Amino acid sequence: MYGGGNTFEGIKSDSVAQEDPILLAAFEARIARGEKIEPSDWMPQLYRKQLIRMIEQHGHSEIIGALPEGTWITRAPGFKRKMALMAKVQDEVGHAQLLYSAAETLGKPREQMIDDLITGKSKYSNIFNYPTFTWADCCFISWLVDAGAIVNQLANARGSYGPYCRALERICAEESFHLKYGHHCVIYLASGTQKQRDMFQEALNRWWPPMMHFFGPADKISTHTEILMRWKVKMGTNDDMRNQFLDMYVPKIWELGFTIPDANLIKNEATGRWEYTEPDWEEFKRVINGGGPCNKERLEVRRIAEERGKWVRDALKSSKAKYVTPLA
Amino acid sequence: MNSLDPRVARLPLIGEEGKIVPKAPLDQFGTYEVFVQAKEGKPFQHEGIVHAPSLELAYVLAKETFTRRFTCVSLYVVDTRDVSVTLITEGNQSVYELMDDVKDGVGKKIFEVYHLVKRGKQHMHAGSVEAASVGGAITKAKNQFGAGKVVYNVWIIERNAIRFTNEDDQELWLTLPEKKFRDAAEYKGGEKLSRFLDSMNKS
Repeated sequence: MYGGGNTFEGIKSDSVAQEDPILLAAFEARIARGEKIEPSDWMPQLYRKQLIRMIEQHGHSEIIGALPEGTWITRAPGFKRKMALMAKVQDEVGHAQLLYSAAETLGKPREQMIDDLITGKSKYSNIFNYPTFTWADCCFISWLVDAGAIVNQLANARGSYGPYCRALERICAEESFHLKYGHHCVIYLASGTQKQRDMFQEALNRWWPPMMHFFGPADKISTHTEILMRWKVKMGTNDDMRNQFLDMYVPKIWELGFTIPDANLIKNEATGRWEYTEPDWEEFKRVINGGGPCNKERLEVRRIAEERGKWVRDALKSSKAKYVTPLA
Repeated sequence: MNSLDPRVARLPLIGEEGKIVPKAPLDQFGTYEVFVQAKEGKPFQHEGIVHAPSLELAYVLAKETFTRRFTCVSLYVVDTRDVSVTLITEGNQSVYELMDDVKDGVGKKIFEVYHLVKRGKQHMHAGSVEAASVGGAITKAKNQFGAGKVVYNVWIIERNAIRFTNEDDQELWLTLPEKKFRDAAEYKGGEKLSRFLDSMNKS
């Protein structure tokens, strides 16, 4: 599971002005009652648009996230790690299929989403634009990036759109081994030789800033998302999610004797919130807009895979099969 | 391409960076609905969809997508176009109450009936009926399975359109329990962790 830190489009205050007020009220009442919205139910255009965007981004993050981890399959330390990493990466790609089909129920075909990923029109989780130099980088992703994604996804699974919630439930259930596997890998590095410990410490130093970016811009600078919270599209603010992650995982990292590269990181016991050096949001924007170390490579790998697979799709194509929007 | 990953570095350079020819509508596989039976004796449940060029390949992909981690005893797929769907209702309104009885024609086909009994959940198999048409099947389903309960949505599928699991297919998923490396319970780092923490405390 890799999804996280969705970037929401700015919302104009009149975005629901042209919606039918009676239908809109019934829609909001249903969400307030805690009922799920199903594909055949009426929904405001803004709800549809933001959900497609969010679920699609999540799907792309699974596909692209498989690349920095997948690169270590051939060089995994030992047969068991290799088998486990292969299974994990395969899971993530499977999760993308589940997410794409949830987004498809809202009316955007899967092939359109894949094209939009390749042309850069759709985004994916920013963290995968960084390289995995060593095995320890790969372990950081398996343990902590997955952990961050789980924080986000457990929240989203309580959201209002039925097909997305069902996909997330399945994904969360399939995840049970990823987090345990990732933690296991890091415990082995931590309790290994000095060289192994150094290797993970260096990975932690490299990945901490993107990990802090992972949950998206700070609430004070991020786009107004009140309506998305009311519609249960977004289930918590970026800062809430970040705080929850720090609460759960900073003690576990410290327990292993590693140093988190932020001298200001401390939990304020009075407020229950973590305090930290403000992440560099300029860097975050620069990387989202294509300026990261691996943006180009990630998209090129996807594009070339698509080009190379074209003849297979052409060979299989049949006029009897027809694309239609999934039912649920 | 210049990459840390040797496999990426040796990829053939084809096409143009950032450019993709938009796919014509036909360049998309068909959509197939997937139904899974988790345990012997339990009803089939709608699980999701796959895209495939044919019913047979849809079956293969469905098995890969939906039974990779979860065990199940059986699974089947059907072209989405072969699923007839009623309206969706809410509150205490059963969709059957909105459906007028249809006088069925002659000829007999078997239809599988799926109910949505709780909004937000997935469609469950309610049973099979024999009828000449979809309308006739709904009327029969209403009388046989619809009495006294709220059904929000009904799906009707003609049995002939379904790609069922046969015996040979079933042998394929007997390998699941042996794959310990992807079982969360196999990753017990606790003991190693406590030994490590003890040694840290001593030093």
